[in-house]
Formats: sequence, C-alpha cells, structure tokens
Amino acid sequence: MTTLQRRVIQGTALVVVALAGFAEVLYVAIEPGRITWLLALPGGTGALVDHHVYFPLRSWTEVLVEIAPGAAFAFAGLIAWSVRPRNRVGLLMMGVGVGFLIGGAGPHSSSAFSETLSQIARPWGEIALLVFGAVSVAMLIHLLLAFPGGRLISASDRALVRSFYVAIPLATLLGGNGRYVPLEALGMSGALNPTLFGYANALPNVLYLACLVVGSALVIRRWILGGRAKRRSLSPVFWSLLPIVFAFLPWTLMSVAGLIWSKPKGLPVVLAPLSASVDLSPLLLVALPIGFLVGLLRAGLDMSSVGDLVVRLSSGLTPDQLRPALAHALQDPSLEVVYWLPTLGWFADFEGQRVELPGPDSDRAVSILGDPAAPVAALVYDSSLVHEGQLLDTAAAAVNMALANARLQVQLRAQLEEVRQSRVRLVEAADSERQRVERDLHDGAQQQLVTLLLSMQVAKSEALRHRDRGVANLIDANIASLKEALDELRELARGIHPTILTQAGLCPAIRSLAERCPIPVEVRDDLGDVRLAPPLEAALYFVGAEAITNAVKYSNGHRISVSIGRGSGFATIEVSDDGVGGADLSRGSGLRGLTDRVAAVGGRLIVDSDRPGGTTVHAEVPCV
Amino acid sequence: MPERVLIVDDHAGFRRVARRLLQEIGRQVVGEAGTGAEALSEARRLKPDLVLLDIQLPDLDGLAVAASLSSQPEAPAVVLVSSRDATDYGPRLHDCGALGFIAKADLSAESLTAVLEA
Repeated sequence: MTTLQRRVIQGTALVVVALAGFAEVLYVAIEPGRITWLLALPGGTGALVDHHVYFPLRSWTEVLVEIAPGAAFAFAGLIAWSVRPRNRVGLLMMGVGVGFLIGGAGPHSSSAFSETLSQIARPWGEIALLVFGAVSVAMLIHLLLAFPGGRLISASDRALVRSFYVAIPLATLLGGNGRYVPLEALGMSGALNPTLFGYANALPNVLYLACLVVGSALVIRRWILGGRAKRRSLSPVFWSLLPIVFAFLPWTLMSVAGLIWSKPKGLPVVLAPLSASVDLSPLLLVALPIGFLVGLLRAGLDMSSVGDLVVRLSSGLTPDQLRPALAHALQDPSLEVVYWLPTLGWFADFEGQRVELPGPDSDRAVSILGDPAAPVAALVYDSSLVHEGQLLDTAAAAVNMALANARLQVQLRAQLEEVRQSRVRLVEAADSERQRVERDLHDGAQQQLVTLLLSMQVAKSEALRHRDRGVANLIDANIASLKEALDELRELARGIHPTILTQAGLCPAIRSLAERCPIPVEVRDDLGDVRLAPPLEAALYFVGAEAITNAVKYSNGHRISVSIGRGSGFATIEVSDDGVGGADLSRGSGLRGLTDRVAAVGGRLIVDSDRPGGTTVHAEVPCV
Repeated sequence: MPERVLIVDDHAGFRRVARRLLQEIGRQVVGEAGTGAEALSEARRLKPDLVLLDIQLPDLDGLAVAASLSSQPEAPAVVLVSSRDATDYGPRLHDCGALGFIAKADLSAESLTAVLEA
C-alpha cells in the first residue's frame, strides 16, 4: 500500500468520525421539527414521524456513550496504523470503528448518524447501514483472531472469520421484526407463527453470543498457549475483553434463554433489555481498542535486549549457548536456529539433524540470515515477532559471526552422521552381495559338481556290472577328488555367507559352526529362536566365526566357549578359549575389520587376551 | 519298503541321475517335478510311496513342501536332499515331517536304504 493510499484511508476514517460527531450534535441540539429540512430529500419524506416512534430523543450523555466505542476504535486504529504501517491490526481497528459509527455497535443499537443517514433513503439506506454495522462486528472477530500479527494464520481461523462475515449480516437482516425481510410472505408473521418469528428475531443475538464465546475462547486459548512474547502483547486485550464478556454474556444468554423457554409474543422477549433508558454498557467497548493499541505497542520489543546479546557475545558465547541467548534477546523461548549446510543442501539443527522450514500457513515465521542464495542460517520464531523486522535484523547481525562458526560444527556433525549412515549402507550392501555370491555358487558350480559326482557313481556301477574293476577304480579316485573339491567349495560358500544364518538365525548358525569345529565348543544362548535385524545377526555371527577360527588356529587351547545373550537394548556374543592368549586387535588380525563392522551398527568389540589365560572376544550391538 | 518314487528337483541333470540311481536299487520312478507347486499336484495325482525332495526350489521352500506333503492323508515318505549340508539348515530340518536328509553328494543306494530303514 502506498503512502497516498494510506493517507486517503486515514482521511476517510477521520471524516467519518467527524461526520458522526456532527450528526450527533445536530441531533441533540436541533429540535425535531427543524431537522426536517435535512431529511427532506427524495425518499426521506415523512421519515421523521416514524423515526420518533422507534427512537426516542437522546440526551448529551447518551450521545457520548453512543459515539465513544466507534470513535475509540477509529482513533486507536489510526495511531496503530501510523506506528505499525505494515501490520493490518490498525486498519482492522479503523474498520471496526467506522463500522460502529456508521452502523451502530450491536444487533439492535444504532447511532444518531446511522438513523439520520438511514432516513435519507428508506428502506435501502437503512438496510445498507444495518449490514455495515453487522460487518463491523464480524470485523471485530477478525481483529481478535488476527491480533497481534495482523493476519489470520490457520485455515480454520480464515474459514471462521469468513463464515461470520456472511452469517452476521444475514442474521441481522432476518431479525428486526420482519422489517427488512418479508417474513410474512414466508408464512412467518408474528401472529401466524410466533415461534418461528421469534427465532428469526433472535438469530442475531444467537450469533452475537457465538461471536462473544468463540472470540473470547480463542483469545484465552492463545494467551495460555502463546509464548512469552505473544502473551506480553495479548495480555492488554485479554484484560480489556474480560469486563465485556462479563457484562454482555449474561445479557445475550438471557436473550437466547428467553427465546427457548418462553413463547415470544408481540415484541420478542429478546428485544426487551434494549428498552432500558440509558444503557452505559457501550462504554465498556472503549477499553478494547485501548487494549489492542497497548498490546500492539508492547509487542514492540526493547532494543536494549539486543545490547545485552552483544555484551554476552563479546564475553564469548559457545555455539550451544547461541540459541538460548537469541531466544532471550527476542523474548521468544520457542525460537530455533537452523543452519544451512551447503555441502548437503539442507537445513539442520544444532545436533546436525535435518530440519524442514515451516510453510507459509504455519504460526511460525522464518528469517533467512545472510545471502538468500547462500544463507548461513535461519531463525524460526513465533509469528508475533514478524513486525519486529529491525530488531530481528539487528540481533541477527550481532550473532552473524558466531552463527558462521556454529555452522561449521553443525556441518561436521551432520557429515559424521552421513558417514555413519553410509557405513551402515556399505555393510548392508556388502552383506547382500555376499548372500548373492553364496547363492550363485550353490545354484551353479555346486549343483553341476554334485550332478557330475552322482553320474560318476552311476558310471562306477556300470563298470562293476561289466566286471571292469580297472575303470571302476579310476572312477573311484575321481569321485574322491570331486568330493574334496565339493567340500572346499561348500566351506568357501559358508565363509562368504552361511545359509543357516539367513534361514534359522544367529544361534543355530553358531551351533552349526561349533559342530564342525575341530576343538570342542560349548555354546550357551539366551536368545533362543529370537531373530535380530539381519545386519546385527551378521555382525555378531562374523565376530563369533572369526574368534572361533582364531582360537583354533593360534590359541593352542583345548576348549572354546561361546555365549550369546541379550540385555535391555543390546545383544552380545562372547567367545573365550583356554589357550595362550596374546591376541592383539591392532595387529592386523581379522578382528580389526570386525571392529569396524560392529561399530557400523553402533556396537563395540572388546578383546581381552592377557597372557596366559586365553582370549575373550566380546561384541555387543544395540537392538530394540 | 517304498516302491513308487516321485523325484522333485529344479535341476534336470540331477533328476536324470537320481532316476538312474533309484532304478538301480530296484525302485520305480513314477514321476518328476521341477517346482514345489508341481510336486504337490503330482503327489496328489500319482500317490507315490516316497518323494525325493530338493530343499531349494524355485517357487516354494522345500521344507514347507515337505510339511504340506506329510500332513496329507496317506502321506508319502519324504526324503530331503540338498547340495548343501544338513548343518546349513539347523533345527528346521527335523520339524518338517520328513523321514530324513541326504546331502546330494552322499546320495547312493546305501545312504538311501539307510534313511528308509532307519
């Protein structure tokens, strides 16, 4: 919006306030008879007679009471808009004020200004003004929901406000004793169908009750859920709303209750409270615009908090203290600092975990720090801070250097995490490749050799049948070497990836290994049939297999014992022998590679091999 | 002693040799099957006394086929074979209702007779 447009709107609001005041003065100061000239316009003829039937003459007090809420909203809105031109709260407040002045601040109330104007072109002028007043009530709900950021954040808020903009004017027209909507034509005259007639008349009141309840409930909810920054600005609105709720709620409730429990006759019960002579309740509404204005100004934070931040920075802030310090300076405990990681192409929190920035529909706002094409970091904060652009910029400039340093740490963490995950993926890929090779060996070479072996046995039988012992012996020798080749192939395949590990799990696989071991192996297990994730089973199995092989080859021991167990959150395998000990992880044994394999799944490997006393290899991996 | 045998293996070469071997020890091979599903349908149709069943089949797990065959009325005796060792399968071998297991490399008139007479 340009400055010129803003000035025009502000000027119009001022003119309306002035005209409203002028009309009220005219109304009180000039005798009824002499006002006729003012109203003797086309369409306004004879209006004054009607006018005095519906609306008795007013005193100065009444006039002031009438004009006060609208004027207060309009003036407070003007101030708010000048102070925070980018925030729509001021504009909305002005809208409410002008609406109240033109249309009246309630379902059946009206100002002198509105009456005077409505006389000019009845009934259309009157209808237009009623709608204007009703719209201003919907606008008040809009204002309550949009405060303090100035825009409706959630889709449900927008839907609610939209429905009030439609429903309140419609209901206001439907009420009013059938003056604006031909209720009689619809078979709803007071005489024919008093109940329906009463309902139609009470509709605006029911809606006003709904506005009051919904508006108050939402403000209270925001006040309770909002952070400190939000509560600071919501509090004045909250406290100025409270007396209004207490004053109007019983009245509106009574109106609605009257409709339900007593049959309306003639003038509906719902209108009865309006006939009181001097109603001072509109004055309560004056507190509300003041509450909005104070709240809006309070949302403006103190620059001195940024000064404190600079002092803390100069005394040395560690990267992990950066977020709390910024949150304190901007008075938003929910503030988050996320770092842009150029090598990975996403934002991460301080722990290096990937973070998605909130979308435009969220109640969180985002400020990108640094060059938007190559940002350093971003601040994610309560949207009530949105109009504190200068404060945010100053605070961000103060921490810019510290943020760049912190980002290096975050990037390192995120890269470590990436490396950890890629290591897991590498191990998994290697495992599945091993399985594939084992399967290929089995399905291909092993099958062919087995068939060949059996064929040779058949050939040997044939030779024997023909009493050719020489050939039979030759075949027998070949059968023996073929069997050896098959055994070697089978061992090779098992070493690559044992089928039993995939088929039956860790314990059967280790037991199968133990059965084939040349030294007696005692296996104890607490795992039973429980299966672990394949990468965990593979890691523990290969540790067990390597430790048993090492014990057989190097320990000179006579017994090996293996125990497989499971604690809370981890699974273990431990292989001990009674040999000479002296195994060393660092001396390039197969255990070195297994340490990496176990670490890849987040576990650890410990070798205890004091001479003498044998060797104990212990591995544990985390599991659910 | 079972006389009528069904051979189940996806490897035609193995089926051919096994047929020869079985005939040599006086068994009548009534049919062959290359998949688990085929094994089940052929067993129903031919009602063999013995099924020589490979564990590694292209469609079904041989151990599951064995369990299914053993649960049928007039169930045939099932002897499992594999080019892998018994130790490669663990306890599952004993729970599937099969009469026994012979590694393919050890398949002979003697080993078969030993399993069938055990």
